[in-house]
Amino acid sequence: MEDRIAQLGTDARARIAAAADLEALRCIERDLLGKQGPLAEILASIPSLDKAERPAVGRLANVLKCELLAVAAERREVLEAELLAAERSCEDFDPTLPARPARRGSLHPITRVRRRVEDVFTSMGYRILEGPQVELDYYNFQALNIPADHPAREMQDTFYCTGSGNLVMRTHTSPVQVRTMESVEPPYRVISLGRVFRKEEQDATHDHTFHQVEGLVVGEDVTAGHLIGTLRSLLAHLFGRELDTRLRPGYFPFVEPGFELDVRCPFCEGGCRVCGRTSWIEFCGLGMVHPRVFAASGVDSERYTGFAFGFGLDRLTMMLLGIDDVRHFMAGDLRFLEQF
Amino acid sequence: MLISTRWLGRHVDLGGLAPEDVAESLTLSTAEVEGITAFAPHLDDVRVGFVQTREPHPDADKLAVCTVDVGAEEPLQIVCGAPNVDAGQKVAVAEVGCVLPGELKIKKAKIRGVPSTGMICSVRELELGDEHDGIWVLDEDAAVGLGVAEALDVRDTVIEIDNKSLTHRPDLWGHRGIAGELAAIHGRELLPLDLSLPPTGDGASFPVRIDSVACSRYVALPVDGVRQGRSPDWLRFLLLAVGQRPLDLLVDLSNFVMLDLGQPNHLFDRGRLSAEGIVVRMANAGERTTTLDGEERSLGEEDLLICSGAEPVALAGIMGGEGSKVLEGTSELLLEVAHFDPVTVRRSAIRLGTRSDASARFEKGLDPALPMEAAAHLVRTLTELQPQITLPAPPTDVGAWTDQSREIDLRGERVRRLLGLSLTDEEIADSLRRLHFDVSAGEGALRVAVPSRRAGKDVTLEEDLVEEVGRIVGYERIPVRRLTAEIAPPPPDERRALVRGIQDRLSGGARFHEVLTYSFLSDDALATLGLADLPHLQLRNPVREGERSIRRSVLPGLLGLLEPNRRRRTDVRLFEVGEGYLPERASERGEPAQVHEVALVWAAPPAAAAARFDAGCFAGLQGVVEDLLRGVGFDTPDWEVPDGELNEPWAHPGRALRVVLPDASGAGRAVGVLAALEPGLHRALGLEGELASDVVAARVSLDRLLECSRRSAGYRPIPRYPATKLDVALALGGEVGVGDCVAAIERCGKGLVASCELFDVFCGESVGAGRRSMAFHVVLASPERTLGEADGRKFLRRLERAAADLGGELRSE
Ligand SMILES: [Zn+2]
Repeated sequence: MEDRIAQLGTDARARIAAAADLEALRCIERDLLGKQGPLAEILASIPSLDKAERPAVGRLANVLKCELLAVAAERREVLEAELLAAERSCEDFDPTLPARPARRGSLHPITRVRRRVEDVFTSMGYRILEGPQVELDYYNFQALNIPADHPAREMQDTFYCTGSGNLVMRTHTSPVQVRTMESVEPPYRVISLGRVFRKEEQDATHDHTFHQVEGLVVGEDVTAGHLIGTLRSLLAHLFGRELDTRLRPGYFPFVEPGFELDVRCPFCEGGCRVCGRTSWIEFCGLGMVHPRVFAASGVDSERYTGFAFGFGLDRLTMMLLGIDDVRHFMAGDLRFLEQF
Repeated sequence: MLISTRWLGRHVDLGGLAPEDVAESLTLSTAEVEGITAFAPHLDDVRVGFVQTREPHPDADKLAVCTVDVGAEEPLQIVCGAPNVDAGQKVAVAEVGCVLPGELKIKKAKIRGVPSTGMICSVRELELGDEHDGIWVLDEDAAVGLGVAEALDVRDTVIEIDNKSLTHRPDLWGHRGIAGELAAIHGRELLPLDLSLPPTGDGASFPVRIDSVACSRYVALPVDGVRQGRSPDWLRFLLLAVGQRPLDLLVDLSNFVMLDLGQPNHLFDRGRLSAEGIVVRMANAGERTTTLDGEERSLGEEDLLICSGAEPVALAGIMGGEGSKVLEGTSELLLEVAHFDPVTVRRSAIRLGTRSDASARFEKGLDPALPMEAAAHLVRTLTELQPQITLPAPPTDVGAWTDQSREIDLRGERVRRLLGLSLTDEEIADSLRRLHFDVSAGEGALRVAVPSRRAGKDVTLEEDLVEEVGRIVGYERIPVRRLTAEIAPPPPDERRALVRGIQDRLSGGARFHEVLTYSFLSDDALATLGLADLPHLQLRNPVREGERSIRRSVLPGLLGLLEPNRRRRTDVRLFEVGEGYLPERASERGEPAQVHEVALVWAAPPAAAAARFDAGCFAGLQGVVEDLLRGVGFDTPDWEVPDGELNEPWAHPGRALRVVLPDASGAGRAVGVLAALEPGLHRALGLEGELASDVVAARVSLDRLLECSRRSAGYRPIPRYPATKLDVALALGGEVGVGDCVAAIERCGKGLVASCELFDVFCGESVGAGRRSMAFHVVLASPERTLGEADGRKFLRRLERAAADLGGELRSE
């Protein structure tokens, strides 16, 4: 019996050492150490042995069982390590295989930039208001100090609606200024973004439909200095760094004084295509709210001062995203849209 | 507008300022400069030469061989064909290597066997005029060897000012106005200019009658003894620099005064004017006249005419007529300087398509005090050139004009408050005086006298003066500040949150692409889509004929994009969030109702016959809309078959559903519609042949969504007891809908049906003719106990009976 145990140990060690993988090892363990295995058989046969033989056989069998468990555990560690090593190998990995695309739709580039502008202003406490695109002549012109004989009202610039003659496609977002002043008590900070229309020939930089951003701030201590500060904050957010600006005279009937704000070209040092080699980019028309506009809206221009500004969203989007033709925006071509 | 810096020098000393400095200071304080260019740079390369000898060419009668001294060691031998070349002349010589306008490069040449090293230039070759009947003979004083520009002292830099930035500044449409600005900006003196009329004879003034309010002043001054001819070089070069081609003395002089003071004027041949005199009147409807450019023009009652007696001789403020030309040899002239209504001139010029330098100026609303000064300026300039001229009679000066000059009180505090710039009252007064405004101390304010030339529409209010102060002091001095205020956060913006939610949902996993389409629809598009009968607000002046209707919905624009995109992509999914206008629902003031909606279109090749029942775009778009509404906080909508007229001509009459959500009161409210495209439209939209598509579209009203109640926030507890899953298939007559089956399944579950999902629809022989099989995953669960097999069996028995009641059978076990 002792020899049988010794022989069993020799065979078992050899089988364990030869186990090729974890599954084979599991089978060997089950064969050798399971309920039906030879060791279990030997242990079960002990009661039938000679009394003198029993302790030795029992001890040997148990020692062998412990030893085999240890050997199997050792072998398992080795096999597991081999397996991990194999998994870590990258022989069959082709790093140039393409990714499987996660398909999705797209937001219009104008929407993307519009949101950035909205977010900057709402973070500064501005409300966003909207006005109609089909606008009363009164709000688009008259209340903005653009009288009936003003050149801006000519048919070649403005789309007029048929009918009673008091409706136009708004030519700017500025009517929202008046609508705001009529309905809200100062102080307030408001922006409005949306579609505007001018009867222009279409080319790479002009479309008859485009988008503007309008801003209006009215309060008791609002100066041109605040106006510059506000736009600088916006530009810093949009372009990711502080940009130099310059203010120069500009004429808009609904502000006085009126200015134009140029921004130092963020794309070059000393001139490029975007800035027309001048290093300055015309960014925004702006000014202090005209007393006649205050009067038309019932705001006391002695108590309150205010500023207003307006700029084109399309041009800004073109600048930020490097788009060279404004006509892409309204063309609905997936080859363009899919890029955003 | 082009401004010559040399011309500016007649009015202000710009010494020490480079043209770039001048341009930048104008941009920063007055008006936008668009560019700076050197005037005729080739005149630096063309040199003054002295013709030493002129010999006939041995082989050509019309050519001459000249030796020309250009200040080099050796004189040049030049073959010249001009009849007027002669020894002893100073001429302009383009040497070998010199490049003349038109990329004409001068090379060494042999002309009929005689070597020629250079060219003696004509005026036209140097782009200095039209004359080409001979070479240009220079002044005897010109220094040999110098560049022509330097020798004649005509080197110039031209500044181009953006006309748009001058629309509100009628005073800046001449060099003196710009010079005045530069004098103010740089603190220099505006040089004096005598604008008083020289004494005149006491003959009879020329008769003028004004019959229209559109002319508020007409000055007419007879001038005698004028000798016609060529203008002196100084005048020609000033005009050339600003892009005016010199013609003859009288035309050039008239232009000079316009470009110097900004006041257009006209010289008539007095001998050709009727003895009745000048009559200024509106044209009669249908009246015709021929203008100087030879065009016959048909006039209307809104066009203002200058007439000689009854005959039109000029379109007031725009262009002279054929009959106003000064004939050769005439020495007796009538100078007209007038003031016309800007709007009348502008509208006439636009209508007749004849915008001119003169009309551009009148349109801006010129100073009515200016005509007499301009008349004096012209006469004085002419007198310097031709001392023999006489003014036989006092000027006629008629019209209802008034002096515009005014006084405005300016509070220093107002300046400081609007600009946010601390300036003393003295600094404020000083900046205004630099602009030649008189400033005195008023009551608690500065009293500012605004001269007539600025007081039209330009400077009328205190705030206008604030602008003057700001731009002269320099806007760069304004300290940049940030707003501070006690300000509450803006109220939640539900509409914007909704729009953003929709955009994000659709552009994400739903794979829709956002587009923007025009608000204008063409008559053709409306007719194609069957929308022509719906009321559309219309444009009076569309960009393109027929493209005049303002959209009621954003969907039609999207439908038009399907065909071009389907050409390039198999699966096209587009959406737009936008506005439509309904004229039939107008406010009291006439504003059409503005509706906001999201429209979606989906076009893809038709699903294969064997595809799963929900493989097509219809079910797909339903899923997108359900997900969209849940994603922005609403319940899964109900889909209702529209009862009655849908009023969506683009929609398939049968395959259309309303999107219904509970409103605030809990009642169902249609927020939109989803439908397959009307079959007849596929061809009209170009979606046939290889582009044949399954097309489904939907519109959802944002206005109505905002009135619907949101899904209650909160969660349903996760079931504590395991659920039982069963797959069942019902074979029923084709008229029994999936909805009926679901209702039956739920009824049979007696409250235990946790979910019921259709996964297969099948027709075929095994199901029976006219019948279809619908298979469902059914989940039974109870919040109180673990369900056993018995529950499943009971459910199936009930369902078996229910199927029989519906005229079919339960197919699965
Ligand atoms: Zn640049």
